[in-house]
Amino acid sequence: MTRCLDEARLQSYFDGELSIELMESVTSHLASCVTCAAAARELEEETALLTSALSAEFEASVPTERLRERIDAVVLGDRIEIAQSTQRSSGLSAFFNSILNFGTQRTLGYASLAVVLAFAAVMGIVRMKNGKEIASNGPEVQKPQPPQAIASTSPVVPSSTIQTQDQHDVVAPASVNGPSARPQRVRPNKVSTNPVPVPAPVKLLPGERSYLQAIARLDSTIKSGNKEMRPSLRAEYERNLAVVDRAIAATRSAAKSNPTDPDAADFMFAAYQSKVDLLNTIADARVSNSPRH
Amino acid sequence: MNGQARALIESMPNDIGTEAVGPLSFDEAFTLHHRAVFRTARAVVRDSALAEDVTQEVFLRLYRNLNATPGEDLLRAWLLRVTLNVARNTLRGQSRSMIRDNEYQKSTAETGFFVDAPEEDYERRLAIEEARRALDKIKEPMRSCLLLKQQGLSYREIATSLSLKETNIGSLVARGRKEFARVYGKIGGKR
Repeated sequence: MTRCLDEARLQSYFDGELSIELMESVTSHLASCVTCAAAARELEEETALLTSALSAEFEASVPTERLRERIDAVVLGDRIEIAQSTQRSSGLSAFFNSILNFGTQRTLGYASLAVVLAFAAVMGIVRMKNGKEIASNGPEVQKPQPPQAIASTSPVVPSSTIQTQDQHDVVAPASVNGPSARPQRVRPNKVSTNPVPVPAPVKLLPGERSYLQAIARLDSTIKSGNKEMRPSLRAEYERNLAVVDRAIAATRSAAKSNPTDPDAADFMFAAYQSKVDLLNTIADARVSNSPRH
Repeated sequence: MNGQARALIESMPNDIGTEAVGPLSFDEAFTLHHRAVFRTARAVVRDSALAEDVTQEVFLRLYRNLNATPGEDLLRAWLLRVTLNVARNTLRGQSRSMIRDNEYQKSTAETGFFVDAPEEDYERRLAIEEARRALDKIKEPMRSCLLLKQQGLSYREIATSLSLKETNIGSLVARGRKEFARVYGKIGGKR
């Protein structure tokens, strides 16, 4: 019996990356080895999972026509630019040629200029050395700089607190300018939970409360609207809400069963974020629709 | 897919005559590889408008370097290598305000999108987000290996795109795949 297969060999086998002889040896090994056959099954399952998970990403449409137009336009622009720059460079090269093609008189002139410059450089260096010796008692003069640096960075702190205040203010009324504020709105909550790596036994996970509060507030905003929701909108809303709630339930149970896993908590917060986004969308849609109907 | 193919065929006679501009291979390269470039860019920058910018830049670089690009067999790998670089630089260069701007445009677009879109579109969007979140947890270069592998690149192409040894790709794909299954499983008992 041949040696057992490592994960790279097995992967290469399923990806069709082995030579024919190696393919045959792996096939015969898989037929006789229970452990490797089980590993192969697992690989196939995981590959199927990966493919189905990424299918939505890769099947989403590609704007072929628009890309074609944009690229044609930019290539055309590039061509024109190249044509212009070759014209320009022919002018430039003529200019440089006239400078560099000098006679003996000019050569002498340049040489004397070079001598003068070299002399000036030497003098400069000598002076700098002297100056250093004089100013060698200088280091204390530089000390006051650090406090200055601190003072210049301190204004940054208040500005960030202003931002978070801003976000709190925007939460309740889901108005037309809601979407622009949405991406940053609940994020601070998430950030604040990140340093805590969810070590405690889970009842209400850290950070979960703030999401629930945001959801409750949005929910009441939507319900408090004086007009009935359009029936089609309501049906849409309820269907999508069910989808998100399923996602929250699934991620929440995963987070509960893996309390120390920061990934699991992240996924749950992401699901909550989806719900907040959905509620915001609904609130916005109501605001923008109500004047028309 | 059919719609895309039709759109592609329809778009062909409307070319602004790039055949006259450079070798025909530029058009062929676009026709063959713009999807892989756009999808890879979108998977990295997570925004269709930005992914279009990246795609444009990549093909402009191809156009400028037509004589210095590898042969047909490794052209896709070369393009995706440039794509990954341009996409990452785009992300790095994005100022906060620009991101906010994009998010705003996206969310306003989604408002309209949502109101008359069927349920599948919402589910699809959520599915894309979940997969991206799981991918985020996978370290480089395994993440890029998976992205390229899922688009059908050979180990040799992946190695060229990512400047890795071809003999290491099998192991990187295997580890990335395991990690993805582990992380994605947590999103909600998908396994």
